[in-house]
Amino acid sequence: MSYPAGIMSKVTITGEIRGARPRRPAPKWRITSLEVLCAVLVLALVGQDWLVGVLDVPVLRTAATVFVAVCVQAMPFLVLGVLISGAIAAFVPASLLRRVLPRRTALAVPVAGMAGVALPGCECASVPVARRLMQQGVAPAVALSFLLAAPAVNPIVLVATAVAFKDAPMMVPARFVGSLLTAVVMGWLWTRFGKAEWIAERALRRLPDHDGTSRWAVFAETARHDLVQAGGFLVLGGLFAAVFNVVVPAAWLEALGGQVVFGVLVMALLAVVLALCSEADAFVAVSMSALPLLPRLVFLVVGPAVDVKLAALQAGAFGRGFAARFAPATFVVAIGCALVAGAVFL
Amino acid sequence: MRRETQNILLVLLGGALLKLALTGTYLRYVKASLQPWLVATGAIMVLLALVAIARDVRGKTAGHEGHEHTGRSPWLLLLPVLAVFLISPPALGADTVNRSDRTIAQQNSASGFAALPDEQVVSLTMTDFVTRTAWDDSGSLDHRTVKLTGFVVQKDGNTFVARLAISCCAADASPIKVRLLGGDLAALADDQWVEVTGRVVPGSATKDTAYTPSFTVSAVTPVATPEDTYES
Repeated sequence: MSYPAGIMSKVTITGEIRGARPRRPAPKWRITSLEVLCAVLVLALVGQDWLVGVLDVPVLRTAATVFVAVCVQAMPFLVLGVLISGAIAAFVPASLLRRVLPRRTALAVPVAGMAGVALPGCECASVPVARRLMQQGVAPAVALSFLLAAPAVNPIVLVATAVAFKDAPMMVPARFVGSLLTAVVMGWLWTRFGKAEWIAERALRRLPDHDGTSRWAVFAETARHDLVQAGGFLVLGGLFAAVFNVVVPAAWLEALGGQVVFGVLVMALLAVVLALCSEADAFVAVSMSALPLLPRLVFLVVGPAVDVKLAALQAGAFGRGFAARFAPATFVVAIGCALVAGAVFL
Repeated sequence: MRRETQNILLVLLGGALLKLALTGTYLRYVKASLQPWLVATGAIMVLLALVAIARDVRGKTAGHEGHEHTGRSPWLLLLPVLAVFLISPPALGADTVNRSDRTIAQQNSASGFAALPDEQVVSLTMTDFVTRTAWDDSGSLDHRTVKLTGFVVQKDGNTFVARLAISCCAADASPIKVRLLGGDLAALADDQWVEVTGRVVPGSATKDTAYTPSFTVSAVTPVATPEDTYES
């Protein structure tokens, strides 16, 4: 949907040319992605003035700024994630992971959830790491609860929450418990109901043994491959976030007033479509001062667990079939866990 | 997509991040504290691509990696590259303020307010000013001449001076605005940066006005756009 029109037409044209003359010997000079890239760059340079003119509308300018901002903000975290992923692939033998984690999946799930405390980053960092853990033989349920916990329970996010909600300090334990509970419940649900075939085969395929290649080469190659693949999906998520940022009317929030039930639902949806960084969402939540604390807690618990950016990354890492089941289930579980945590702490 | 193309895309993307970070343009999109991370990220991307290219040239990668199936998703990496190098979107402004009715003013009564400096004209950040008008009951701003810096927003016949506060990146920007009264304000264009001097109308920032204070203007001076347009 978001490929520039130039690319798509180029691809079909070359496809038709090749399809029409199947018997000819392959020409020496074939049009590959490299030539397409050059053509797109030249076209973009030539059409720069036209492009800038078309985008010179306030709403498009705002959307373009938000799009670049989301990409720029998330890239450092994604790079951190792929470096960790590369390091796991190159330096951590699968046997070590098996020894460290409890043998029973049901016990390993909460352990993995707590381990999320150690990865101080946004959700973008945790997706490549979780995928690499699966490839190294960690049970999917365990890797998934790490994926959900890491962006929400790490110290940086909790400190940011405490700073934002300095007049409501109970938001911090409420958020910690709500997010950890979401991760553990989803892990257990996957243990009970999850099917391995929902995850794309490429995500679970063991890496070939790298005999003769140095570990550093494995590290660099894994990190590069993960970066190229996840990066594209991150950009897709950034596009969605930018569109929703300009089309979701602020009047939504005004209309809510103090209604708690409706407020919970709308805030949960807002968390999904706005795709804020988990280190920033507390500051946005505190500014929605017209709402009671409970809907805002739901916003903070749902956001790091499921949003459009994360769903795009998951579709890229684990396949579309997985994301289509996992994201909605997480959405429901996260709302439930946030309500439980809110009932206890707020 | 071919491996060579992926590597070129990575070099371009890393280059775009380095350009943003080193020219200061990154302040339109994210907070100043992210700069070293952006430099490191851009450098790592370029480095990973160069390592792969060098290994390919020396023929060290196995043949099957030449056409790995990453699908078409990496093409999307081209979008931020084109956006940064060709379009270079501006910092958020009046359009964002008009789009959002959230308000930055948060209850700050617990921590109290520091005394204002004893000067003829007090320069305040918009955040500080709006928070004080909403929550400082001591009336410390009444009858004091204040100078604010922000951009102009014209909406429904009212003129505001506004600023955006970000806590992470431009996606979480919250508007802070002050309604201007008096003088010939309608001629000011949206997004024009100004310094306004004047006095707050006491008691104007209430729940009914969504904590937007009114400000009686004595002077408006157009100024150049600051390098970092956001407050935090």
